[in-house]
Amino acid sequence: MAALRTTSRLFAASRPAFKSQIRTRTMATITGTAKSGVVAPSETTTIKEPAADADSKIKTFHIYRWNPDEPSTKPRMQSYTLDLTKTGPMMLDALIRIKNEVDPTLTFRRSCREGICGSCAMNIDGVNTLACLCRIPTDVKAESKIYPLPHTYVVKDIVPDLTQFYKQYKSIKPYLQKNTPAPDGKEYLQSKEERKKLDGLYECILCACCSTSCPSYWWNSEEYLGPAVLMQSYRWLADSRDEHTEERKAQLDNSMSLYRCHTILNCSRTCPKGLNPGYAIAEIKKSMAL
Amino acid sequence: MLRQSCLKAVSKQAFSTKPTSTLPAINKPAASVLSKQVARNAFAKSALPGSMRVAAFHASGRQAILPALPQVIDGTANDAAKFPPPHPSHGSYHWTFERAISVGLVPLTIAPFAAGSLNPLTDALLCATILIHSHIGFESIITDYVPNKRLPKTRKAFDWGLKLATVVVGVGLYEFETNDVGLTEGIKKIWTA
Repeated sequence: MAALRTTSRLFAASRPAFKSQIRTRTMATITGTAKSGVVAPSETTTIKEPAADADSKIKTFHIYRWNPDEPSTKPRMQSYTLDLTKTGPMMLDALIRIKNEVDPTLTFRRSCREGICGSCAMNIDGVNTLACLCRIPTDVKAESKIYPLPHTYVVKDIVPDLTQFYKQYKSIKPYLQKNTPAPDGKEYLQSKEERKKLDGLYECILCACCSTSCPSYWWNSEEYLGPAVLMQSYRWLADSRDEHTEERKAQLDNSMSLYRCHTILNCSRTCPKGLNPGYAIAEIKKSMAL
Repeated sequence: MLRQSCLKAVSKQAFSTKPTSTLPAINKPAASVLSKQVARNAFAKSALPGSMRVAAFHASGRQAILPALPQVIDGTANDAAKFPPPHPSHGSYHWTFERAISVGLVPLTIAPFAAGSLNPLTDALLCATILIHSHIGFESIITDYVPNKRLPKTRKAFDWGLKLATVVVGVGLYEFETNDVGLTEGIKKIWTA
């Protein structure tokens, strides 16, 4: 191309003077450089960054990053800016937009985007909650900080390792245990009052927000079951159809499993589903007392 | 990274200067320290301003008491977590007793002051209840913060230390009750002193 350009310029110089300037400028040519060889600033244009709209709301998100492929590098906080007018209302929308448009290496769990699967539990602005149920604060001056669930082993970025949590859930045998067959041979019936006792217990989605907000669970997660698992334990203790109530209670009857609860009540405060694990634990303690 | 380089540079300086000049160097104005360093190690000087060296010196003492260990999964991920063996005297009975003591403390604390009379029996009862209550409280703290699995020896030392302390306090209270004015009267005297 460069060779072509020089030849065409030579050619243009030899053209007659009455030919119009527009028709001769077929390719990118530089005019007015004959004297100094440098383009005057008045004849050039500068391509600027696209200006933000006047009504745009730019918010900064600081997100915890750690990559297991580089285990020697320390975890760090990475900042992203998003225009809130082009983002959905929830934190999960912001995270998905960052992953789609800004940084595909950002890793997080998400599934249902409506608070029923419990995958997107994380620590947002200091509170354990589900990203899909947490509105982005519209105050753009306040920068949001997103961390994984506190005191968990991190798999990558904001993905926590919940193996111990699930092992503990399995240990309480979260299923109906019967010794006698159903009276009609088909199903175990419950009265409305008996069923009502399970309200506020069965809705738990096991997102681990409450357990990871409990200081007692931070220090003793090997043996203390934590609020989420204890509430599910109570769900089966309170079930009128279950016949292994005494075995379930005997399992909890040691200093660690249940009685490390000191009614701090971070669990009830943080629950994104509005449940009350602290109350359920208190009910277990009362039912096991003399 | 920065902290490491700071520490490295600090230690380098500590080795390069005479031992007499290193210790006061921390509190001296930075300029005099730096002028000494120029001839010796120009790079270390330019890399670290004086304030940062002091900060690194103080930050070096920051250590977690029980840093988190690498993750250990007991059995496979599909095995249920194991329960400790059932022990009602550390479980449900313990909890009931603890609550009964706590509830009992309320009238015992108010009664002598409300009645205005001094009864050696209520005084002794108050002393014993406070002693048991604080023993249970400290025991709970030890169970929370000194994990038996990780620090079995420390845990044993703490447990026996607490038992010893409770006995010493118990003897002390007994002496105070029998040979002195007694707990309620003692508090009254301190209050009006």
